[in-house]
Amino acid sequence: MSLFGIAWRNIRQRALTSGLTALSMALGVALVVATLVTGGVVKQAFESGAGLGYNMIIGAKGSPLQLVLNSVYLISKPIENISWQTYEQFLPASERADGVDGVFAASTQTAVPICMGDYFRGHRVVGTNATYFDRLFRGDGKPFSFSAGQNFVDDDLYTAVLGNQVAASLKIAVGDEIAPTHGADDGKVHDPFLVVGILDRTDTPVDRGVYVNMEGFYLQEGHAKPIEDDEEAAEEATAEPARLPDGRLPYNQREVTAILLETASLPGLPAELTAMGLRTAINEGRDAQAALPIAEIRVLLDLFVSPLELLLLLVTTLVVIVSAIGILVSMVGSSLERSRDVAIMRALGARRGVVLATVLVEAILLAVGGGGAGWLLGHGVVGLIGPWIATNAGVSAGFFSFTPAELLLVPFLIALAILAALLPAIAAYRTDVARWLG
Amino acid sequence: MDTEAPPPTATPSPVIELTGVKRAFAVPGSGPLTILDIPAFSVAAGELVALEGQSGSGKSTLLNVIAGILRPDAGSVKIGGVDIVKLAEPMRDRLRADRVGLVFQQFNLLPGFTALENVLVAMGFGSRPADRGRAESLLTAVGLADRLHHKPAALSIGQQQRVAVARALANRPRVLLADEPTASIDPAHQQQVIDLLQTSCRDEQVSLVVVTHAPEVAAQFPVRYRLEDFNRAAAAHAPAAARPAAAGVQP
Repeated sequence: MSLFGIAWRNIRQRALTSGLTALSMALGVALVVATLVTGGVVKQAFESGAGLGYNMIIGAKGSPLQLVLNSVYLISKPIENISWQTYEQFLPASERADGVDGVFAASTQTAVPICMGDYFRGHRVVGTNATYFDRLFRGDGKPFSFSAGQNFVDDDLYTAVLGNQVAASLKIAVGDEIAPTHGADDGKVHDPFLVVGILDRTDTPVDRGVYVNMEGFYLQEGHAKPIEDDEEAAEEATAEPARLPDGRLPYNQREVTAILLETASLPGLPAELTAMGLRTAINEGRDAQAALPIAEIRVLLDLFVSPLELLLLLVTTLVVIVSAIGILVSMVGSSLERSRDVAIMRALGARRGVVLATVLVEAILLAVGGGGAGWLLGHGVVGLIGPWIATNAGVSAGFFSFTPAELLLVPFLIALAILAALLPAIAAYRTDVARWLG
Repeated sequence: MDTEAPPPTATPSPVIELTGVKRAFAVPGSGPLTILDIPAFSVAAGELVALEGQSGSGKSTLLNVIAGILRPDAGSVKIGGVDIVKLAEPMRDRLRADRVGLVFQQFNLLPGFTALENVLVAMGFGSRPADRGRAESLLTAVGLADRLHHKPAALSIGQQQRVAVARALANRPRVLLADEPTASIDPAHQQQVIDLLQTSCRDEQVSLVVVTHAPEVAAQFPVRYRLEDFNRAAAAHAPAAARPAAAGVQP
């Protein structure tokens, strides 16, 4: 009979104690795995750049991290707005009213404006145009797709597209109307927007966003920018804004909260240098700031997430070590019974090394068996909280999410088991056969 | 042969041969207490021997020395011609697994293992590969064909002792040592155990050494000694009435 066979039967013989010990180990390892995997996928997704179709965010001067969190993750508060003229600096002549290329148009591949400040039943309302879903991506370069309906067109002023989670949780379908509120859920109720499309699930913050046509957004009460040198016009802006002949808000009364920008490569320059140059130029100006989402998120990770993750990992590792001590306690507790068994085996001809190895293998089986169950449990937990992570952190995490650090668990558990079982194993090694069988 | 006969030290090709064996134990508060002082003792191949002695006469110590579990302070202990005193411990362990079968007073079965597994475990410690067929046939031979997969707790006392006998014979030993094998058994079953040991050892051509404090058990063996016959230490500690004649002790 092999060492594993003997060790396994010893475990079965003390089934209750062994089971509880393994359970304790499983819970500890599950915590470690859940922490590792969650932290791993979040960091991986943030650090990978996520292929969203933009690499820079332009917004009002202030905290760049706040700008990123607000624009990309739909959390935190908007800083301030930037002028429509700032937005137009990134547009080519064909998209500008004056028919002249914007100053940054050559460095711009895509510029998608977003306007924020309204809510719909707890969800952020984002005013934007059709390019958001036409030119940007849901992540990893995958285009947006619709589970029902389609993207709005810019000419249909009061139309909206809903994120998958919003539509599911509020039970809203294409053809329904939604009426955002101004500034907060209990703010003034705006005009209704017709829902024309519901996005497929993206496992990103987009799932919990309400996207309305920016042109309709501008026409809502309080959304037109007051014209400072015209008091009368300012008063009108709070009531009924002036309109262009086609019914839209005049450009001089418009603002945007942020611009999601994909930079282009200037001739003869690498894309990175173009982006750096554009960022410097914008940041040196007075009107706006340019933030690099990846860089800002990395700062966030380095400053807060990584230390927190490390702390969490330390705590969970302590839990595993406590579980290992459980193995030690379990083995010491059964040492009387074990000594007799060891003495019997020694009398039958088992060498000291064999009985020592049997005890170690028993501990390793408990640790690895419990650890294996914990690994499954940990991944199960990640699978369960995956949707929550997806909507709150904007990254996809599921049962099969894996982080290379998990590979270290096996040698870690084996080393821990050996350490925990060393004392009982040495005791077994030194067992006085004649005394126990006498 | 009775208790007055000298030990068979001159038997050709003895399977057990002790020469000048001494073993003492430290006693707190006093000097070492000599338990074994055996000038010569041997058991021939195939012999069925009973060693009778009172409690404290060194019976178990003697078995442990023969089995290589305890090392004597002096002398040689040969099993099948190999002096186990000169062997390193791992070699002694291997020799014990291969050549010596042990049956204990408390049976000492491994509680977490079935009857069959108890036999297979013993095989695992020997030089030969574990032979499941032999393990099953040994258990069948001792009347446990229908108890192969029962754990000790599910077996009667007598059945446990049968498993112990089968386990002791697992590795085709040269000698089977039984320490008070009937002491924990009611009188009705004692005879069965004695018969089982003797029959099994005859069938397997194994020398049998049974130590017992019970004269009625010793009386059933063809060769019978009292410890005092060849263990000077036992003779010195024995009550005067129990001391053997000088002829019973080899110098």
